Amino acid sequence: MALKGLDIFKLTPKTNCKECGSPTCMAFAMKVAQGAVEISKCPHMSEEALATLSEATAPPMKTIKVGTGEAEYTLGGETVLYRHEKTFVSKTRYATAISCCDENMDAKLEELKKVDYDRIGERMHVEMLYLTYCGSCDAAGYAAFVKKVMDEAPDKTLVLDCTDVDAAKAALDVCKDKKPILDGADASNYEAMSKLATEAGVVLGVRGADIGELYDTVAAVEKLGNKNLVLNVGTASIKDAFATTVQIRRAALKDTNRTFGYPSIVNAAALAAGDSRMQAALASLFTVKYGSIVVMEGMSYAQALPLYGLRQNVFTDPQKPMKVEPGIYSINGGDENSVCLTTVDFALTYFVVSGELERSGVPCNLIISDAGGLSVLTAWAAGKLSSTSVSKYIQENVEDKVKCRKLIIPGKVAVLKGDIEAKLPGWEVIVAPNEAVQLVKFLKDMQANGEI
Amino acid sequence: MTLFDVVFSGNDAVYGLTEKAIDDAIAANGADKAVAFPDTAYSLPCYYAVTGTKVTNLGELKEALGVVKSLMTREKRLHDAFMSGIATALCAEFIEVLKYMDGAAPYAAPEAGHLPDAAIRELGVPLVTGDIPGVAVILGAAPTAEEGVELVKSYQGQGILVTLVGGIIDQCVEKGLKMGANVRVIPLGKDVTAVIHAVSVAVRAALIFGNIQPGDAAGLMKYTMERVPAFVNAFAPLNDVIVACGAGAIALGFPVITNEETFRVPKSLIVQKDVSKFNATSLEARDIKLKITKIDIPVAFASAFEGEIIRRGDMQVEFDGSRVDCFELVLSKDATEVEDHKIELIGPDIDEMPEGSKQSIAYIVEVAGKSMQSDFESVFERKFHSYLNCVEGMMHTGQRDMIRIRISKETYQAGFRLKHIGEVLYARVKSEFAAVVDKCQVKIITDPAQCTELRHSLAIPMFDKRDERLTTLTDEGVDVYYSCIMCQAFSPSHVCVVTPERLGLCGAVSWLDAKATNELDPQGPCQVITKERVIDERIGEYEDVNEAVKKFSQGALEDVSLYSLIEKPMTSCGCFECICGIEPLSNGVCIANREYAGMTPIGMTFSELASMTGGGVQTPGFMGHGKHFISSKKFMKAEGGVARIVWMPKDLKEQVADRLNATAKELYGIENFTDMIGDETIAEDPETLLEFLTEKGHPALGMEPMM
Amino acid sequence: MPFTGKSGKFNAAIRTVEIGTGDKAVKLGGENVMPFYTFDAPIENAPKIGVMITDMGLENEPAGVKEYYAGASSFAEIAKKAEEMPGADFVVLRFEGADPNGENRSVEECVAIAKEVGDAITAPLVIEGCKNVEKDAELFAKVAEALQGKNVLIMSAREENYKGVAAAAGLAYNQKVGAESAVDINLAKQLNVLIGQLGVDPANVVMNVGSAAAGYGFEYVVSTMDRVKAAALSQGDVQLQMPIITPVADEAWNVKEAMASEADMPEWGSQEERGIDMEIETAAAVLASGSNAVILKHPASVATISKLIKELV
Repeated sequence: MALKGLDIFKLTPKTNCKECGSPTCMAFAMKVAQGAVEISKCPHMSEEALATLSEATAPPMKTIKVGTGEAEYTLGGETVLYRHEKTFVSKTRYATAISCCDENMDAKLEELKKVDYDRIGERMHVEMLYLTYCGSCDAAGYAAFVKKVMDEAPDKTLVLDCTDVDAAKAALDVCKDKKPILDGADASNYEAMSKLATEAGVVLGVRGADIGELYDTVAAVEKLGNKNLVLNVGTASIKDAFATTVQIRRAALKDTNRTFGYPSIVNAAALAAGDSRMQAALASLFTVKYGSIVVMEGMSYAQALPLYGLRQNVFTDPQKPMKVEPGIYSINGGDENSVCLTTVDFALTYFVVSGELERSGVPCNLIISDAGGLSVLTAWAAGKLSSTSVSKYIQENVEDKVKCRKLIIPGKVAVLKGDIEAKLPGWEVIVAPNEAVQLVKFLKDMQANGEI
Repeated sequence: MTLFDVVFSGNDAVYGLTEKAIDDAIAANGADKAVAFPDTAYSLPCYYAVTGTKVTNLGELKEALGVVKSLMTREKRLHDAFMSGIATALCAEFIEVLKYMDGAAPYAAPEAGHLPDAAIRELGVPLVTGDIPGVAVILGAAPTAEEGVELVKSYQGQGILVTLVGGIIDQCVEKGLKMGANVRVIPLGKDVTAVIHAVSVAVRAALIFGNIQPGDAAGLMKYTMERVPAFVNAFAPLNDVIVACGAGAIALGFPVITNEETFRVPKSLIVQKDVSKFNATSLEARDIKLKITKIDIPVAFASAFEGEIIRRGDMQVEFDGSRVDCFELVLSKDATEVEDHKIELIGPDIDEMPEGSKQSIAYIVEVAGKSMQSDFESVFERKFHSYLNCVEGMMHTGQRDMIRIRISKETYQAGFRLKHIGEVLYARVKSEFAAVVDKCQVKIITDPAQCTELRHSLAIPMFDKRDERLTTLTDEGVDVYYSCIMCQAFSPSHVCVVTPERLGLCGAVSWLDAKATNELDPQGPCQVITKERVIDERIGEYEDVNEAVKKFSQGALEDVSLYSLIEKPMTSCGCFECICGIEPLSNGVCIANREYAGMTPIGMTFSELASMTGGGVQTPGFMGHGKHFISSKKFMKAEGGVARIVWMPKDLKEQVADRLNATAKELYGIENFTDMIGDETIAEDPETLLEFLTEKGHPALGMEPMM
Repeated sequence: MPFTGKSGKFNAAIRTVEIGTGDKAVKLGGENVMPFYTFDAPIENAPKIGVMITDMGLENEPAGVKEYYAGASSFAEIAKKAEEMPGADFVVLRFEGADPNGENRSVEECVAIAKEVGDAITAPLVIEGCKNVEKDAELFAKVAEALQGKNVLIMSAREENYKGVAAAAGLAYNQKVGAESAVDINLAKQLNVLIGQLGVDPANVVMNVGSAAAGYGFEYVVSTMDRVKAAALSQGDVQLQMPIITPVADEAWNVKEAMASEADMPEWGSQEERGIDMEIETAAAVLASGSNAVILKHPASVATISKLIKELV
């Protein structure tokens, strides 16, 4: 059971010295309880209090950082098994698998650059490369391959899939500054591999023939003092990989078995080699269920569009809805003479409304103003969607860009019509139906009647 | 003769006839001769439903008659009368089935006789949905054909399914009334025994739609009583047989309304001499509520008009409570005092008012219903604003006796008159609050003298009484609290426990609101929480409240206290109007409201506080709540109450000052308590705040340490 | 100490609901573990796949779908092919064209199509409406009547029309009732309670707790299903133990990612592939979240998801 803020507060010096960066000891304690700040930020904590708190506030699952700079990613650190309980904090990251003697290496590297786009303010691309050592090249060959990949794709975080100690060493010499993952420890080599990883200062990936061997190997590596790990869930079968992924996460979070308190790597490329559709299915499955890194043979737009959307959905804070940027969104080629519609910036509302507008085929401008990311009625009730907010946004951002003076407002806030008209001289305010799905007919009818 | 004697004698007569008919049939055809109704899997439906035994031939029919005989006990008790009624009905079924022997077709159009299962499946669906709100069984001949046909048409107009037995059929034929299943008027047959075909419909509905097991007579009668909204209209003269059949109908829960002066049994055997009132009497007796689908006004009614503003130049007339006497009021009345859909105008209509003038208006909506409670009056009343605004060309603001209404010229020209206000209120109240409103009438008063009189003699005392009720409503004074889980969509584990002195933390759901919500939507977000098993009076913890919270949070939350900030405080969804949190230095709490964007002496802003208080997680020392709760005597009662409040934003302080000061005066005898409370103009850090509090001698400084 | 995973098996189980008749009848639900958690306990019935066809025929379908149904022109022939699709467990007939705001196909015509399809196949049949609550209520009552004895699943009874739909399907004509609510556990439960109060046996109810395409508010789908399964299994809430069926095809093929033409979005590549992957990934995600059946339309998606289910169960 996590400590409550008040319990932590009782152990603070209660001096409000502000040295931790928080204005009061109470604010600091509450942030520690939330996991937003580390207890060690307080310089005046007694040794005894620190010991008590470090143990109690230590997360059940380690937060592991990989990569550097822009390409630094946080894995793990989850505290719940279901997103409604709190929030999933570290997004699943996707990796493309390339082998050192891959004939299509260049094509793959080229392909990799294509899928790179923005979705609701988030860059969507393959963040990692899973570099497999084929076993027949020599260590230098593998290192050269890693070097080449680094040069070609400098913004990717690397995962070295290599159980050969010499090859791993050679590759690490080339890339350790980029903080890759060395995914190569198994029951036979873990001592050497752990030493390598520790010396290079990189995260070690551990694997096992089955979940029991994986567990024992992790325990052995931990005994060596290395707790900077990720767990490869294996490639025996899809069923096994799923069972392992779920069980390690559940053991860590539900049964506080800290030996399994690490992020996971799922090699879908190996689990469904040559079957890109199955890999898409697996990527989706492991995004919902506990994959920290999912490796695929490639990433096409067809695979990426649903996958990144899914990830963006699953990893949102249930209490902080996704928001779209305020602005004028042209739909079906809407221009300055096209009718305007307005709704809130809650992403789901935006998607639903824009989808229906697209389906109507009527050119229009969808005007989104800041409504705190709330749905229409909630925003209205909270005062975030008001005649003032709408009219102010339109006067400041729309009137000089759009000539049409017809504004359609959501049916659920019909009550705003009069006030908006009063505040927006020259505009005709039209009330839309209550549900977005009725927009298609509504707009088509308006078009047919020559109203727009 | 008593009613018992009549029933028993009628029963005996029918039994004798039946026995003879069966014996004759056996004599003529042998006991193995098959008997069955066509197109049913339940033959004979009534007998099968009551006993669980199917009858396929005359021999079995004879045996069945023996079973029927065993029902015919002769003690003068209600049960015996009912059973004799059932026995009479079963005899009727036996007589009727004999007519169908050898595949005969004993009934010819328009008479239907036995209805096939398929017809029942088809009729059953609208019965279940309420699209057919009732089933009328009309028996005998009306005093005149006109009256008979009028009655049938009145039911037809309400969507009620009408079945006809006896003389009424000829009366309808005579008047050329269109009949048939498609127009929901089904003549069954001219013999009184044909009434069994109506009973058969009800019985098979119970078997098909009610999952009633054949032989479960008690379950059958419960189902027909609760789910089959049928009733009988029996025209004079009644004979013993008809009365015995009527006893059977009553046993199934179907009241009998007759125009013959006979025995009266409350709610079951009702004498209504005036045939033109059969319809209203029947609907009331069977508790049938008609769905209102249309509002009868000459302009549109839609939420799209809710935000319409009527400017002075466009208005035909204005009613302004700030200048002249106006009010709107809902009153609950006894059912006898309310005539459904009566709309009365007292005083001039719009035509008689000068264009652009300012007038008085008062409208009183009187409602009656078995589940109506006076606490709901204000809940309905608050909806009037939105109802009237939905009328095209009508604007309504304010409430109670401070209303203002404008009606546009266009709307007036479209034919809108004051009675239409009544139509709108009637239709909306009846449909939105159908669960509690059985009858509704509207009085609209525009006579200025009467408006003034009623405002002072009726409306204001009523409003005062309600306010009084609100202020005297205490947690101790009620038996139950309510849950509210409206916010679970985004805060899945949060449950609000709404009590009279602690409204929902969003500020929008009071105990009365929650109660009304529960009554109107029993499966909805507000459920009753009992509070019988107290665990700790001081912090307000109850076993039953904990159980409810656990259930409604799907196990996420084990226990909550109602009155403590430190021990098991109530959770928050995220909709809180305010958050209060401990400020340790001053041994008190700071409150921040949603509108306040600055820093609090706790060291956190409202949004920082919100991020740790929301999401249905218990955070001891921090709690979301509504603004009204600040002046409640239950506000962190376990920690000493409102005397703990050391800081709140100036705006908020001003909003709650009157009531908070009153509470502090009552609890601690402190005058002008809010003067002792800091705000952002005094301090945004704990040290400066403490200086201020010390200077003012704030009571929190001398209280028990909070932690 | 070696690792011993604690079992997550529950005492309560999801109800088993059978649709269809004869050898090809399928069972939905029955499990007492979270989705695909076969390591906790065996999964009674693997999730099932329905292949969707519509009353609009094949004209607007993607090339791969057209190709699969090549040669089939009548509804009976199309339905026959649908049930033969590798991986298919049942057939879903969706009356898209019944929408009064669209084709406004008459109830009689729809009933005729339903009968034609029902008579042509031996696999279980699921009926989807046009989402217009009034029209659906009317349509479902007549279709339920016409398909008596076939034990079809009628989707869906919603808050606005559940009385008519559930009374016709669940009471009058002994079919299975689909209870559809909009991604909210409380609404789902409330609807189940209301349908139960009508007298429909809970063993004849399947839920559609709402769905979305991946990326379109899918978090609500995940959380609703997670919570429904948790309430059903760990809290033993009998009002939520109905198996879940999720129509994926309607959602997946109707979002921009699947609808934008290659001319408009050249960098996105093949439009059909985009639709297939949207369908596959959405289906995989709803299955991972707890659906006991998914409704798909493209043969490639059906093949992949069927293989995924086989691998996992």
